[in-house]
Amino acid sequence: MQTRFILLAAALLLTISASAQNETPRTYTNFPIIITVQFHALSLPFRNLKSNFKNVGIGIGTEVSHNGQQNWVTQMGVLWYRNRNVGNGFMPHLQTVWRPTLADDVYTEIKAGLGYLISSRPSPSWRQVNGVWQPAGHKGKGMFTVPLGVSLGANTWAGKTQLSPFVTYQFMLVTGYSASIPLVPETLIQTGARVHIDY
Amino acid sequence: MKTISHTSVITLLFTMLISCTVSQQNRVASSSCVQESAPIDTYSRAAGINKALEKLTRSGVPGVAFAVYSAEGWWETAAGLADLESKLPMQPCHLQYLQSVSKTYMAAAILKLYEEKKLKLDTPITAYLPEKYSRYITGAEQVTVRMLLNHTSGIPEYNYAPAYVSKLLQQPEFPFTAGEYLTYIQGKPLDFAPGSKYSYRNVNYVILTLMADAITGNHAAYISEAIFKPLGLVHTFYRNEPGYLDYPNIPSSYWDRHSNSIVENVSLLQRNNVRNMVGDDGMVSTPKDAVMFLKGLLEGKLLAPETLELMKTWVMGPKGNNEYGLGLDHALIGGYRAWGHSGGGIGAGCQLYYFPDKNVYFFAGINLGTVTDSPLHKEAEAALNALYRAMLD
Repeated sequence: MQTRFILLAAALLLTISASAQNETPRTYTNFPIIITVQFHALSLPFRNLKSNFKNVGIGIGTEVSHNGQQNWVTQMGVLWYRNRNVGNGFMPHLQTVWRPTLADDVYTEIKAGLGYLISSRPSPSWRQVNGVWQPAGHKGKGMFTVPLGVSLGANTWAGKTQLSPFVTYQFMLVTGYSASIPLVPETLIQTGARVHIDY
Repeated sequence: MKTISHTSVITLLFTMLISCTVSQQNRVASSSCVQESAPIDTYSRAAGINKALEKLTRSGVPGVAFAVYSAEGWWETAAGLADLESKLPMQPCHLQYLQSVSKTYMAAAILKLYEEKKLKLDTPITAYLPEKYSRYITGAEQVTVRMLLNHTSGIPEYNYAPAYVSKLLQQPEFPFTAGEYLTYIQGKPLDFAPGSKYSYRNVNYVILTLMADAITGNHAAYISEAIFKPLGLVHTFYRNEPGYLDYPNIPSSYWDRHSNSIVENVSLLQRNNVRNMVGDDGMVSTPKDAVMFLKGLLEGKLLAPETLELMKTWVMGPKGNNEYGLGLDHALIGGYRAWGHSGGGIGAGCQLYYFPDKNVYFFAGINLGTVTDSPLHKEAEAALNALYRAMLD
């Protein structure tokens, strides 16, 4: 399933790219809107990929380019996912992205950065206070993460608006999960679009 | 380029999210149980033990069930809650997860096969283990049955593998098999030369189980016939039917996932995990039944005296101390020698020991996970020390 998904997404990107070239003057503007839908799993990289697709989430962010070629950028955003087995997550994150062009308007990305994952518990929890058990809801824990990702995307234009759909695979090292498990591997499969609106 | 309306996109996203927001109620209904016989009420140490167990439940352990056999006879008790959500009290008749205490039962079954001359202790495991499993184990031909029983095999541990742990947490419903556990050690070198030292490994008992299956056809049925029935253990269950872990008199299980003294109900994760484990885990029992097993075993009701002596032939630990026999742990508890086993899981923990210098047997089972560290464990250990003093001094 995951292989078909990735191939389908790549084909879609190439098709969009091919059909959208040379329509209007191409401009890159800082602070585009980046919208993602993602699938989360507590997993080693490229293992148990099917389990990702049970845990969907959304994200929003933006980016700033460090040069005129938009191949070095810093992205920032927040994402949220639902994961019924290991708990939902909310994560503000910041990543530096190297974005080389592969061919015409098709690009790839390699990204690395830092995030802070607020992971809730999958079921209601309890805390003992003075010998009495009191509900603690789904209260979880905040943990620093190191997200590392690779992407494939394409630049298209609709009028003066640049629309760049992409797919990304992110591997996150989550720190401080517990006293016995200091590092936990998690993954995100993301698809989304970067929208540069030329006002 | 075709335009997709914003409404369609939002509807699609909303549908996807809602489809995944059906909360997994990690709850399995637990209920009260009927105590078949009233515990003796004249046990001289009852007050001290009850006080220690109350201290244990005030340390952040939801509930505890306890049984003891001493010169005064049988005594059982319980404290705390079997289910925090419904405030259901823990009772001595609740079934407790035996976790790794199951290894002692498995070892006894293997030694029964040894007495029946169906296997030899110092023969390489490849003589009994089907090739479809032994091919996963590096150096299997150097490992003997005895080395599996006393944890000197050097075979790497399956549940140290990050791939296994992450899959268990993310996919608790995944039906792991004994063969699948071995895939996590495929191609890994032995951790040390077989027989050269002691290092506790769950995988040793998974392999013993696969051997027992090859010899008997069904190790669980064999354990039932050779262990449970002779000792009259009618409240001990192990793969007797597919839903044996769904019995309502199994307490709910709790885990301090993030080591911050907050516990969550992990009953489904616990039951699915235990359901898939063979030989190294998998049994549930009442406290009294567990003590009846150890008492029957050590009193020679299962094995011949010379076989029992083999079981109590201890391998040394790194400090030159007696560490482990054949499925029996040699511990120092409360300052006294103790033979038996302890067990720990995601949502439960227990101890089953005999104190030969005091002629006292006891079992204590809790419904808090002990397999990962928690600040709650520190106070719980202090309460357990108080329990040992109340029971032995």
